Amino acid sequence: MDFSFTKKEEKFRKELRTWLENNLPEGWLKGKRDLPEDLEEYSRFLRDWQRQLYEGGWAAIAWPKKYGGRDATLMEEIIYHQEMVKVKAPPLINYIGIHMVGPTLIDIGTEEQKEKYLKKILTGEEVWCQGYSEPNAGSDLTAIKTRALKDGENWKITGQKVWTSFGHVADKCFILTRTSTHPEKKHRGITVFLVDMDQPGVETLPIVQMDGRKDFNEVYLTDATAHDSDIVGEVDNGWRVLIALMLHERTGIGAELFSLEQQFNETVELTQQYKINGQPLIKKPEIRQKLASFYARVRGSLLNYYRNLTTTIKNGHPGPESSIDKLVVSELTKELSAFALEIQGHQGVLWKESAPQDTKWQNLFLASFGQTIGGGTSEVQRNTIGERVLGLPKDMGR
Amino acid sequence: MDFSLTEEQEMFRGHIRKMLDGFGGTKIAREMIDHQPENLKKLYNTLAELGCTAINIPEEYGGLDLEALDLVPTFEELGRSLIPGLFLETAALAVPLIKKYGTKTQKEKYLSKIATGEKSISLAVLEPFHDFSPQGIQCSLESKENGYVLNGTKTLVPEGELADTFLILVRTKLEEQEDGLSLVLIDAADELTIEKQASFDEAKHVVQISFNQLEIKEGQVLGELNKGWGTFQEGLLYFNAALSSYLVGAMESVVNMATEYAKIREQFGQPIGRFQAIKHNIVDMKVNLEIARSLSYYANWVLETEEADREATIYSARFTATEKFIEAASHNIQIHGGIGFTEEIDCHLYLKRAHYYQQYLGSTAYYQEQVADSLGWLQEGGKACKKLMSHVN
Repeated sequence: MDFSFTKKEEKFRKELRTWLENNLPEGWLKGKRDLPEDLEEYSRFLRDWQRQLYEGGWAAIAWPKKYGGRDATLMEEIIYHQEMVKVKAPPLINYIGIHMVGPTLIDIGTEEQKEKYLKKILTGEEVWCQGYSEPNAGSDLTAIKTRALKDGENWKITGQKVWTSFGHVADKCFILTRTSTHPEKKHRGITVFLVDMDQPGVETLPIVQMDGRKDFNEVYLTDATAHDSDIVGEVDNGWRVLIALMLHERTGIGAELFSLEQQFNETVELTQQYKINGQPLIKKPEIRQKLASFYARVRGSLLNYYRNLTTTIKNGHPGPESSIDKLVVSELTKELSAFALEIQGHQGVLWKESAPQDTKWQNLFLASFGQTIGGGTSEVQRNTIGERVLGLPKDMGR
Repeated sequence: MDFSLTEEQEMFRGHIRKMLDGFGGTKIAREMIDHQPENLKKLYNTLAELGCTAINIPEEYGGLDLEALDLVPTFEELGRSLIPGLFLETAALAVPLIKKYGTKTQKEKYLSKIATGEKSISLAVLEPFHDFSPQGIQCSLESKENGYVLNGTKTLVPEGELADTFLILVRTKLEEQEDGLSLVLIDAADELTIEKQASFDEAKHVVQISFNQLEIKEGQVLGELNKGWGTFQEGLLYFNAALSSYLVGAMESVVNMATEYAKIREQFGQPIGRFQAIKHNIVDMKVNLEIARSLSYYANWVLETEEADREATIYSARFTATEKFIEAASHNIQIHGGIGFTEEIDCHLYLKRAHYYQQYLGSTAYYQEQVADSLGWLQEGGKACKKLMSHVN
């Protein structure tokens, strides 16, 4: 066993850390981390940040050098996430472009598609969203109804997408459509298109979330146009593209685990500072014991992630056990933020400017409910683990 | 970074597993219920032949001088088949303590014979109606000319009939708390009043030992006089790291039992493992198992380092394994339905062993307090969740 970093990895960390110190938005490191409220300004601010990452060579470190990446190793990706979490870096507005669309195009895209899109993904000039879920296709993505009909060299796309993150600021959409129906083989007949968001047939409406934020959109498509050359992979074979795309998601969970670790540390600080009847919360045995229980779970999850990562490094691809990590980090985030709220006592429900401490706890708590739903619900994750890791029989109907 | 056991360690696991399967897995535990320790003794000899008993013994005493991690496969496999006996107590508590605190004479007397499998050491710490704390230790060792006399009663002493020697925590100063305890080694040949106790984990035998004016010589004291509590805590780190591996092995058996049963048991015309109520339950057991395993690997690695989270992660590994094993063993019975409630199926053996260890030498709350304490949460600027990888600050 070896938990050390190589000299090369240390050098990488230092280089990134120095770059961040010199390039983060003004005042960021000192704690001035407010993002603009206004959508236009918000979008501009984050696009500027992405541009800066690109210019520093830090936009997509895992991509091959020839496409503007750094050919980063898995460990370098881990270091990257650690450093970004440490400084609470601004969100990556083109997350979907960098981590999903780009790698997929590099893998199976046409030369034309690579030429046309990759650079603009890196610079943030074109922000991407993904059109997966629909009102009646959530966990069961094969139930999508958005149709793409062939019209000469073009395709006409009609339907409704929902939970499209960054949809309101996106220029392009990586969209899942149905091009033919096969009741016996529902995975067949799905086609992925690269679609322009800025066209007459596309309308986006923000969804107001339970935490008051508007990170997602509904996207209405009415005869939106795409060309033959906008198809990713082959017609009717989109499911394969999805599988390939999921395999590119190499270290994203790592970032979430490092954030969780950070939240845990801040929860400990909260119990040291927050006073009830004049006494810091940490003086209560039941609070300490619960915290210790969280410590073990956070620690255990991170260690388990490292064990899975070791398997990935050794075999070149993640094993099915990796599906455990997403389930664990999302559920644990939910429980930890609920705990952080609960210990604030009756004041825990106070929000925004009335929050007794930093309102981040209330925000975290509310936002955590999205984590066990988005990107595969906990129930879907449990099915995957049960079937792929333990070999239990599949549900009826799947 | 590399967070995995080595190929050699995994290969060694294979040998142990094959050997234990040859002994019939849980058959040995069941024979102990019927008071037939013959096969357990044979098994112990085989473990010695394979070198298991010599793994962490220094070369000068005939050992292999390997690391705590090299014991992990053996601990897990013993847990998998619920093997009773004193392997853990000997290899993971007595050996590290004697290595670190023993006199030359004590090392010579014990370590070589432990390496060959000739000696097993049990421990007598807990007392009736007391808890596991310095105040809970009231057996008293009083000075007299040329030595001491010991009086008092110890309860839940594991495998009294298999032990060659007992490691005993006693009170040497009445008025002090922690700084009034000492450790002594007593050979079973000495006159001891041993009484069998009935535990519901019938496969792990426990006894009560009473001491009445028992004479103890100077040379039987292990480590510094009056510093026994601190000394014992250091030994407990080794024991708890080992115990977490043993429990992980046992938990793995339980998860396998539940999984395999859910695949073959049919109700309503289909295997019950198809129902999410069953499937998700088993998945949660599996997830907890893997997290407990990761903690236990790290605990056994960190044990021999000076990492800042050494104690906190070992305590975490310990209470995670005990708690999650109980949960898994309980669900396993429920998943088996009616047959899970019978004596015939192994389910109950695992649940009983899980409870045997839950409060043994410290409850979950005790170890949670230890985590808080070792991370300095009650002090200003406590260290909280120290980064796992040493260079990250």
